[in-house]
Amino acid sequence: MAEIKLEHIKKQYQNASEPSVADYNLDIHDKEFIVFVGPSGSGKSTVLRMIAGLEEITDGTFTIDGEVMNEVAPKDREIAMVFQNYALYPHMTVFDNIGYSLKLKKTPKTEIEERVHQAAKILGIEPYLERKPADLSGGQRQRVAMGRAIVRDAKILLMDEPLSNLDAKLRVQMRAEITKIHKRMGATTIYVTHDQTEAMTLADRIVIIDHGDIQQIGTPNELYNEPTNTFVAGFIGSPAMNLLEVEYYDGMLVSDEGFSVTLPQGISKQLTDKGYEDKKIVFGIRPEDLHLDPIAMETYVGGKFTTQVEISELLGADVMLYTKIGNSEIVVRGKGSDYVAPGTAIQVAANLSKAHYFDAVTTNRII
Amino acid sequence: MKNKNKRTRMIVYTILTLLAVVWVLPIIWIVLTSFRSEGGMFVDYFIPHHFTLDNYKMLFTNSTYPFGRWFMNTLIVAVVSATLSTFITVVMAYSLSRLKFRWRGRFLQGALVLNMFPGFMSMIAIYYILKAIGLTQSLVALILVYVAGAALGFYVQKGFFDTIPISLDESAMLDGATKWDIFRTITLPLSKPIIVYTTLMAFTGPWMDFIFARVIMGDNIQNYTVAIGLYTMMTRESANSLFMAFAAGSVLIAVPIIILFIALQRFFVEGMTSGAVKG
Repeated sequence: MAEIKLEHIKKQYQNASEPSVADYNLDIHDKEFIVFVGPSGSGKSTVLRMIAGLEEITDGTFTIDGEVMNEVAPKDREIAMVFQNYALYPHMTVFDNIGYSLKLKKTPKTEIEERVHQAAKILGIEPYLERKPADLSGGQRQRVAMGRAIVRDAKILLMDEPLSNLDAKLRVQMRAEITKIHKRMGATTIYVTHDQTEAMTLADRIVIIDHGDIQQIGTPNELYNEPTNTFVAGFIGSPAMNLLEVEYYDGMLVSDEGFSVTLPQGISKQLTDKGYEDKKIVFGIRPEDLHLDPIAMETYVGGKFTTQVEISELLGADVMLYTKIGNSEIVVRGKGSDYVAPGTAIQVAANLSKAHYFDAVTTNRII
Repeated sequence: MKNKNKRTRMIVYTILTLLAVVWVLPIIWIVLTSFRSEGGMFVDYFIPHHFTLDNYKMLFTNSTYPFGRWFMNTLIVAVVSATLSTFITVVMAYSLSRLKFRWRGRFLQGALVLNMFPGFMSMIAIYYILKAIGLTQSLVALILVYVAGAALGFYVQKGFFDTIPISLDESAMLDGATKWDIFRTITLPLSKPIIVYTTLMAFTGPWMDFIFARVIMGDNIQNYTVAIGLYTMMTRESANSLFMAFAAGSVLIAVPIIILFIALQRFFVEGMTSGAVKG
């Protein structure tokens, strides 16, 4: 059992004018895989380090299973952590690295032996147990770092961007392995990353953070389909959601740059009811909800608009069209057969019922 | 192109050879002189005509100049003060590198400024303090003075500790290690090269120091160290006759330092922190 509760957690560094983390509230359930995601400097690592006990908590309450942990020393928190730079002890062999925590706890030698071998087996590093970290490749070092965390059988596992130093292929592979290890160990896991793909693929729930504030908490699906504001909308999804500042009047969305679509009645009624008539709003649509095929043109008549292709990226099955209306960029994701040479003007049909509408001032979601 | 390379190399090697000769010649000369049986201070040839061990024997038999005693004095002072100095320096450097406390920054600045003054500036004051507590003319006083200086010489070591990634400490902390565990099992093993350096420096100090030893020991010839002891042999009356013995003494001073260096040098070479973090 390991339920983590963060209530009004605040972190203020002495020389900073504003707090790095302002008011952080989060309940993490037992065995859950939580991912903190956000841009660099958003405070996600700071929260993780406060949970680990490596940073002091300025204000608020942090509990594990109902017990307040604010002042408990890191070594007594029973938390395992994988560091971004691995933090392997260079003078020890892989075996000693993995067994270090057990040795400190005065575990019997035979048990250390057994548990280290078991952890090494799970991670496929058994042949390297007698080597020093310097003689390992990046991927192997990463596995040793993981091994050091899982050998302890801790209830809580923290990971601070553990894959950011690996190459793309290895990263995908380790991602799958982390999921497997989580299932097997069942530790409550908090994973920090700035990579939204990692967040989407690993998380039970994602916590998306910007400027020390939680923007949204939800399952990957919720965050993708119902982003609460333009920040979440722009952060989750690759390529990112297209966001256009437009004016809403008479059931239409119009921009100065020549963009114009007619909204379905259901949506326009809601916007009018909420008092957005003649006001600026942010219109958001994902690249995959913009269509190029003739059937879509007929289906989404009101969502048709014309845009200028600037760059075409053929990815095989898909094509990414980076287009421009005036100064606003719009990315369209089409099928490989939709390839259009740069420089041509194309007609695009937007599935407006899948589009997102945000307040231009508060950036919060309207519909 | 190839010719030019060759010429540059020729020039470089010539310069290096010259420098090597200039550097090694005095050492060879003093070693040769220590085995010379004839003449005195001033002879106009380099290689002795007759070799002998009498100069060395004389050092350990002459009661006016008890070189054996001086040698042991120095050895005791060097061993004790090297041990204590290394401990103090390393502890100082570690705490200033790893622990955060109030006035840490100011302390570092203050230490830097204090380091710029030569140690013997405070010589007279130190002498009076030692006299007040009745410690002058003793080896303890000498050890005290050498060790006290160590607390300020932590900058190099602190720089070394700073290069050990802090995430190693943090990782160990989460693994359940106390500060002492971390210092003992992580920091110290990784710091072998710098500890060896510190020990060597602290050990050589007492063999070379003249000023403090001279001031503190005064005329207590029994407690002299080798540096001041050998110097007393070089008075106007005795300089010429004792010159070869003086040379022999100089050669002997180098022995313990060389032994220690050979014993410790392998630790210098190891690149200890490689492979700690990422790759």
